[in-house]
Amino acid sequence: MSRRPGWLAQHWLAVASPVALLIGWEVASAVGLLREAFFPRPSTVLIHLRRLVTDGTLLAHALPTLSRIGGAFALAAILGVATGLAMGLWRRLREGLDPVFAVIYPIPSVLFLPLVSFLVPRGETALIVTTAATSFFLVAFTTTEGVRQIDPLVVEAARHYGARGRRLFTAVLLPGALPFILTGLRLGLGYALIVVVAVEIVSASRGLGALLWLSWQVLKVEDMYATFLVIAALGAVLSYGLAVLRARLLPWAQDVAER
Amino acid sequence: MKVVVDDVSVAFDSRGHTVVALDRISLRVAAGEFLCVVGPSGSGKSTLLRVVAGLLRQTSGDVRIEAARPGAPLTAMVFQEHALLPWRTVLANVVFGLENRGVSRAEREARARDMLALVGLSRFARHYPHQLSGGMKQRVGIARALANDPEVLLMDEPFAALDAQTRTIMQEELLRIWASLGTTVIYVTHSLEEALLLGDRVVLMTARPGRVSQVFPVDLGRPRGLEIRGSPAYGVLLEKIWSQLRDEVVRAMDADRDP
Repeated sequence: MSRRPGWLAQHWLAVASPVALLIGWEVASAVGLLREAFFPRPSTVLIHLRRLVTDGTLLAHALPTLSRIGGAFALAAILGVATGLAMGLWRRLREGLDPVFAVIYPIPSVLFLPLVSFLVPRGETALIVTTAATSFFLVAFTTTEGVRQIDPLVVEAARHYGARGRRLFTAVLLPGALPFILTGLRLGLGYALIVVVAVEIVSASRGLGALLWLSWQVLKVEDMYATFLVIAALGAVLSYGLAVLRARLLPWAQDVAER
Repeated sequence: MKVVVDDVSVAFDSRGHTVVALDRISLRVAAGEFLCVVGPSGSGKSTLLRVVAGLLRQTSGDVRIEAARPGAPLTAMVFQEHALLPWRTVLANVVFGLENRGVSRAEREARARDMLALVGLSRFARHYPHQLSGGMKQRVGIARALANDPEVLLMDEPFAALDAQTRTIMQEELLRIWASLGTTVIYVTHSLEEALLLGDRVVLMTARPGRVSQVFPVDLGRPRGLEIRGSPAYGVLLEKIWSQLRDEVVRAMDADRDP
């Protein structure tokens, strides 16, 4: 067997393209091709990022965001998986809820904030519920499909070999739907981050979205870009984390997903 | 008699009119017998097997299976498309039925390992189905059925999807396993050659509605291998059954052609 080429040799383009972009940006701002007031050099942004970290500003804004994402994701995951499983198992429920979901789902979640504020306590709870909305629909949709795409022949075979009721659910339907559920959770977590930032821009004094907006309002453009970077990195870490979890939970589905 | 199929009919509604899949079928299978059921497609051979397996309720008539060993399931089916649980390892698939019946872990794993050894898959206990070839998956299907120690082993065209070489090897393997266990087998196939190689008797079914056309004893001696194809008795019997089967196939094709 020949030695496999290293990771960098295989993925050099994935590394080279963002590096080239940053270098191009740096040069363009330095020579005045881009106005530094709006497009500060990446090196300047990094200096500001370091200051935000050391003076504690970043942590003070990141913690509320993380706790909101955590709350919203937990809410969306629990309710979404439960609703999706029920919709996958009972046709009547699916037929009843599908049109309702289809109408609500495409509405940008931020718009729910005023409505939600009437239904639940304003402030933190309203932010979390609003953030959870889109993720909930995504998780519910994918979970429903996850149950429905299980091969009926496999279910029949499982019944034939004595799996009934609760056992059929835990040993067949749940593991059968799990690849879809985890895909839904990964999408849902990504959307929770998108929506939480939007919601924080609209109505929070703390949080990464608030920091971003505040920096822009007072024209601290470097801080705005620094916050951008943090949000992007957070998104990458969350998505990668769930991908790793998926690979560990689903060794049998891994090859298919990576093909 | 191990299995008595008494006057069994199956009818179902298809777009407003009644389709008779099985029309007053009666069959007797002796303990330890290897019975092959042959017929054109649409003759209801799979339907018959599913009724015996309890996967499908007959419209009228009666199926009786003699339960010689208390606690053992009456039937275990080897499905045409293997129908293994993709999220379970080979070993976990084989123990599945025993697990559902509450057999202790040590006992069911010991039993499963015996069966995997019998089908020559001991080294693949920790593999997942998607890592196996078609023939290996079907061996797992056989091991899963045998692990349950059923009164009657049901096989629904188990080798139909395999390539010709693999099929031949699997047929010989099956004969070896059957000779060592002495299980009662009902084997559905559309291949007359396969039926003559494997069966003690061949039941020929008619085109829709499915009836028993004729039953042929296969007096070709045991043990049997591929070499029986060269014997004169084999040729005579093959010709005799084929002349009848051909009429049924032509009738089935004509019936499909009619509006």
